[in-house]
Amino acid sequence: MKDNLKLSSKLKSWLELYNLLIKTSVRSRMQYRFNFLLGSVLAALIQISEFLMVAIVLYKFGAIQGWSMYEMGYLFSVMTLSKTLYRTFADEVHHLEKYLVEGDLDQILTRPVPVLLAIMPRNFRIMLGEVLQGGFILGWSLHGLWRSGQIDWMSIAFTLFIIVTGAVILFSIGLATATIGFWTTRIGELQTFTEDAARTAGQYPLTLYPKWMSSMLLIVIPVGFVNYVPALYIIRGELGVWVLAAVAVVAMICLGASLRFWRFGITKYQSTGS
Amino acid sequence: MIEANNLYKVFKTPVVREGRFSGLRTLFAREYTRKEAVRGISFQIEQGEFVGYIGPNGAGKSTTIKMLTGILHPTTGEVVVGGYNPHQERRKAVRNLGVVFGQRSQLWWDLPVKDSYDILAKMYNVQESDKRRRIDQLAELLDLYEFWTTPVRKLSLGQRMRADLAAALLHDPDVLFLDEPTIGLDVNAKRNIRRFLKQLNEDFGKTILLTTHDMDDIEQLCNRVMVINHGELTFDGTARSLRETIGLPTEIRVTFRGPFQLPDTLDPAIRVTNREDEIVTIEANRQERSTVDILRELGTWGEIDDFEMKEPDFEEIIHKVY
Repeated sequence: MKDNLKLSSKLKSWLELYNLLIKTSVRSRMQYRFNFLLGSVLAALIQISEFLMVAIVLYKFGAIQGWSMYEMGYLFSVMTLSKTLYRTFADEVHHLEKYLVEGDLDQILTRPVPVLLAIMPRNFRIMLGEVLQGGFILGWSLHGLWRSGQIDWMSIAFTLFIIVTGAVILFSIGLATATIGFWTTRIGELQTFTEDAARTAGQYPLTLYPKWMSSMLLIVIPVGFVNYVPALYIIRGELGVWVLAAVAVVAMICLGASLRFWRFGITKYQSTGS
Repeated sequence: MIEANNLYKVFKTPVVREGRFSGLRTLFAREYTRKEAVRGISFQIEQGEFVGYIGPNGAGKSTTIKMLTGILHPTTGEVVVGGYNPHQERRKAVRNLGVVFGQRSQLWWDLPVKDSYDILAKMYNVQESDKRRRIDQLAELLDLYEFWTTPVRKLSLGQRMRADLAAALLHDPDVLFLDEPTIGLDVNAKRNIRRFLKQLNEDFGKTILLTTHDMDDIEQLCNRVMVINHGELTFDGTARSLRETIGLPTEIRVTFRGPFQLPDTLDPAIRVTNREDEIVTIEANRQERSTVDILRELGTWGEIDDFEMKEPDFEEIIHKVY
């Protein structure tokens, strides 16, 4: 009981700290207002061009291997929104290389707070472009699926749920990749492979790919559990509701494993010479 | 308070491959270059000591400090600081430490100085009333209010160091690790920082470990010196005993009144280095001869008008140890 109280007060103070660090980060960047605004606008432009790409693919091919245009849009937008959620709250995990190369982790390691808690809020931003783009495609897909009678209100709740579990899975993949940096220092290329390439592949139905590749996207880099696997149940009614529980379990396992790996990686931190 | 037991640190860096996908290939590389940065260091520092930790660049100073503060994990060996092992219970151990890296600020670069203290207070769970009391105290000692609302990036080096020291003390730690806290400062700023550090140690009883290349820091502040070279401790004792261990000769300039005569056979402990008119400069090892003996010997050469003694320069002593 006492331990519970202690834990909850600790969590509360961590949340307050996280909140304060987010505010700090935003204020720091507002010092360079022009840069901040320009960055936001450019990010939104990139999202629009990506959206046009997808629109062309969807329009041109329509249905692929039994997956309708709306279903494809659903897969794509869930992936986008999960990624957006992950990058909004933990963007720095993706940029850990900078901390390893410049030795910035030194200072953070001398603070009595979890390292991730201190790092994650550093570059907090609302990714408006991504939210709008993902939200728009998701809305359009859901609308189409609703009209064809494939989904109901429950499906929408489930969708929100898998966006969160998906963010957890993507975060875990990102964290595990970043952790490898404790051995190699440079992780840019690896991230292109495990984060960007895998996620892009996961935007489409896994049945498109050869067997070895789809298994890899489910087992080695489990992006398939972000959207494809839960979508089988939510919009296509395959398998059963247990799929959602399985997805949650997978997300928890990924998170637990990546956190353990991260903690081990920190013991291998080499800092920089001075 | 601080205990290091047989610390070893070996850095293994994979050999970087050339060409395409070098990063990915490095990942699977099995070739490493090994560098032994610290090789079997042990020491114990008691509460209230002020220890200077010196050595040439690349000797392993920073690596040791980073192991003591929990940043680096030793390859083998163990650290206990304030009762905790920072490699097993990092968060508990660092709560009681203040760490300042002279080369790198711990403050939030783009924000006013005062904002950094708010964040740090939150990180260390410092109560609002304690925070205000300590900031007032530190601001008075370090003259912080002068640049209280200036963004950190606009501070002068001296101001930044003062702000950084205050940041490291906000949570009232018992142990302070200072890595080159006077680097790059002008004479005046150095003096202020030293006075403050002395006060921390003497009046507030803080245990301090400091690295520096400035021998005045050592002479004026530290009651104990540890010298590291090639990853090993080569000396551990008082600043005075370091001076004695090396046994550098004391330089004496003697002015004679009128004519004088050097003996044919000089005392082996005395060496004449310069001679012009009435002034003779000699070097004598005071480990072997007392000052009185040397003066008595000089007295037999002629009538002494004046003499000046110069203790060996600390800087030179250190050169000799390295």
